[in-house]
Amino acid sequence: MTSWLRRQRALAEYTLAALARRRIKNTGLLLIYAMVIFVVASATLFATALRKEAEVVLAEAPEVIIQNLVMGRHDLIPGDVIAEIDGIRGVASIKGRLWGYFYDRLNGANYTLMVPLDPAMAPPAGQAIIGESLPRVREMPWETAPLFLSRTPGDLVRFDIAKRLSSDSALVSTDLILLNEANFRAFFELPEDVYTDIALSIRNPREIDTIVEKIGRLLPNARLVTRDEIARTYQKLFSWREGIMVLLAGASVLAFVIFAAEKASGLSAEETREIGILKAIGWDTGDVIAMKLWEGGLVSFGAFLLGTVLAYLHVFAFDAGLFASVLKGWSVIYPDFALTPGIDGLQLTALFFLTVLPYMAATIVPIWRAATADPDQVMR
Amino acid sequence: MISVQSVCKTYNEGRPSALTALDGIDLEIARNALTVFKGPSGSGKTTLLSIISCMARPTSGRVLIDGRMVSGLPERFLTLERRRTFGFVFQRFNLIRGLSVLENVLLPATPLGGERRADAKRALARLEMLGIAGKAGERVEFLSGGEAQRAAIARALINDPPVLIADEPTANLDTELAHRFLDIVSGLRAEGRTVIMTSHDPRIWAADQVDRVVSMRDGRLEENEA
Amino acid sequence: MRRTRIVFGLLAAGTATLALASLHARITTAPERARMARSAALVRAVGLTDLALFTEARFTRNPALADLQTAFQDAPMSFEHFPSGTFAPRPAAGFGRGELRFGPEEAAR
Ligand SMILES: Nc1ncnc2c1ncn2[C@@H]1O[C@H](COP(=O)(O)OP(=O)(O)O)[C@@H](O)[C@H]1O
Ligand SMILES: [Mg+2]
Repeated sequence: MTSWLRRQRALAEYTLAALARRRIKNTGLLLIYAMVIFVVASATLFATALRKEAEVVLAEAPEVIIQNLVMGRHDLIPGDVIAEIDGIRGVASIKGRLWGYFYDRLNGANYTLMVPLDPAMAPPAGQAIIGESLPRVREMPWETAPLFLSRTPGDLVRFDIAKRLSSDSALVSTDLILLNEANFRAFFELPEDVYTDIALSIRNPREIDTIVEKIGRLLPNARLVTRDEIARTYQKLFSWREGIMVLLAGASVLAFVIFAAEKASGLSAEETREIGILKAIGWDTGDVIAMKLWEGGLVSFGAFLLGTVLAYLHVFAFDAGLFASVLKGWSVIYPDFALTPGIDGLQLTALFFLTVLPYMAATIVPIWRAATADPDQVMR
Repeated sequence: MISVQSVCKTYNEGRPSALTALDGIDLEIARNALTVFKGPSGSGKTTLLSIISCMARPTSGRVLIDGRMVSGLPERFLTLERRRTFGFVFQRFNLIRGLSVLENVLLPATPLGGERRADAKRALARLEMLGIAGKAGERVEFLSGGEAQRAAIARALINDPPVLIADEPTANLDTELAHRFLDIVSGLRAEGRTVIMTSHDPRIWAADQVDRVVSMRDGRLEENEA
Repeated sequence: MRRTRIVFGLLAAGTATLALASLHARITTAPERARMARSAALVRAVGLTDLALFTEARFTRNPALADLQTAFQDAPMSFEHFPSGTFAPRPAAGFGRGELRFGPEEAAR
C-alpha cells in the first residue's frame, strides 16, 4: 500500500516536473479552464439560488388571480365580478388588486405602483412606502425626502415617505411604490370600482382546481392564473436563463476539449519520443497512462476547485456582479439583492464530471497509441 | 547468462518492404564480461541489442536470460524483465529535456514505488562517483556530451541492474572521452555487472578492457574473437 | 519533491475552501430562511405575484401575468424574442432625459 502510494506520488512528481517546463503555457491553460468552469458554476449556483428564492417567497402569492381580457390583452376588471363569484365555496377572500406601472421620465426607470392587499399595510393618505431601489435611482438624499412623480409635463404629485422597504426583500419589492387606494385611483385617474385584477385566497389548496373551473364557467372571458402556474413560470424562467449561460459555457467547454484533444492528438514528436524513452528505461504502458492520468487529473481538478470556489464567491459574496449586466437588460432598476448561499452536491458532482472527464479523456486517449508502441523505436 | 538461439528478426513482415535484419543468430553472452558487437552500419547490431534487452521480440528463435525464456513473454512481463535486468545508455543518450540531471537519473525508479529519499541518495552517490554531482540540479540540455553520457550512465544504473546495455556509446565522443567511458565501464564490471555494447569504433574493439568482440554483417555473425 | 508538496498543498487548500463554502452555506441557512420568511410575508401582505428582477417591460416585470396571446410581445419566455435584443445596447439618448417642469427644490416649497 505505501509502495502504491509512493509510486503514485512519484508519478505525480514527474508529471509536475514535466508541466513546469512550460510554466506560462500550462498556467494559462489552467486559468482558461478554470474560467470556463467558473462561468458554468456561477450560472448554476445563481439560477439555483434564484429558483429557490422564487419558490419560497412566491409560495405566499395569491392562490388565484383573475384577469379580464379584452381583445386578448389584459384589461381592467369591473368590481362587480367580486360579487358574482362571492358565493363560491372554499374561497376565503376575494379582493381587487390595484397595481400599475409608472415610467419615470426623469431617469427612465419603471416603477410598479400598487395598493397593498392587506389594508393594515396601506400607507396614510399622501404617503408612500417605497422599494429599496427608489432612493438609489432617484437620489433621495435624506431618509424622509419626499417623492415627486410627474405624469405629464407640468404635473407634479408629492408623496411623503411612510417607510422604505428593506433590501432583504429587494428581489420582490425593489421597484414598488405602495399607495393607499384613494391616492392610487387619483394618481392614475382610475374610476371607482375597477381593479387591475382580482386576487382570491383559497383555504384548501386541493380545491383550487375545482374553484378555478367554476369561475371559468362564470367568467368565460377571464384568464385565471394559479399560484402553481406562477411557480412554474419561475422555475422555467431561471432554467431558461441558466440554460443559455450553460449552453454558452458548454460551447466553450466543447471548444476547450477540442483544443485539448487537438493539442494532445497532435502529440508532438518530442512528447512521443519522451514516452518512448520512459518505456525503454522500464516504464510499462500502465505507468505512462497513470502518469498522464495524474496530469489530466491535477490540471482539471485544480481548475474545477478554482472555478467553483471563485463562482461561489462571485455569486454569494459579490452578488453575481458579472451577471448583473446580462440580467439587467434595458432596465434602469436592478435590485440590490443577496441570494441565499447554497451548494447542491448533485449539481456540483454533475459539473465535476462534465468538466473533468472530457479533459481527462482528451489527455489520455491520444497517449494510448504512443504508450503501447514498441519501446525499441528510441534506439534509432 | 544470456543465450540467443537461432534468432531472426524481420521488419515489416509480409509486406513488400519486408527486411530481414537478423538472420539466425546463435550467441552466448558471459556473465560479468564486456561484450562488443561490431559491424558496419545496418548490419543489425542495434536490432540484436534490443532483442537481447527485451525491448523487442524476435520474429523467430529464442532468448533466455539465466535459463528463463523471455522471447515469448507478453509485453507486461517483458517490461518487468527489462526493468529488473537491464540498464540502458542510448546512442543519443535520450535524456528528457527540461528536467534536471537528478530528475532524469531518478526516472527508471519512478514507477517502482521505492523510498524517494533513498532513491535520490543513491542517484547522488552515483553522480558523485561519475564526477558530475555538481550538475545534479542542472537542466540536461546545458550538459556537454561527456556529462550527458555520464548522466545517462547514472540513470541506467539507478535500479542497480546486473546488465548494462550501451548502443554506440562513443559515437559522439572524442578519443579522450571514449577512453574515459571505457574506464567507467570496466569499473562497472568490477562491480560485477555484465556490459553489452555495440560499436563501429575501432578504438573500442582494440581496447584491452573489452573481453569479446562479436562481428556482424548483414544480420549474421561473422566470427568471434577472444 | 517540494513542487509536489506545494501543488498537493494547494489542492488540499482548494478542497478545504470548497468545504468551507458549503459549511458557510449551511451556517447561513437559518438567517436566510428568516429573511425569506420576511419577504414571503411582504408578498402575502401586498399580494405580489412576481420577482422584481427585470423591470424593463411588463412581460419581464410580471412574467406570470403577462398576456399569453399577444404575438411577439408579451409571452413570458420572450426575453430575447427579438434577435436584435441580443446585440443592441439600450439606447443612450432619449432615455430618462425628461425633466420635471418645476425643479424639485421649487416644488418642495
Ligand atoms: N523499425 C524498423 N523498421 C524497418 N526496418 C528497420 C527498423 N529498424 C531497423 N531496420 C533496418 O534493419 C537493419 C538493421 O538495423 P540496425 O539494427 O539498426 O543496424 P545497426 O545498428 O547495425 O546500424 C537496417 O537495414 C535498418 O534499416
Ligand atoms: Mg545502430
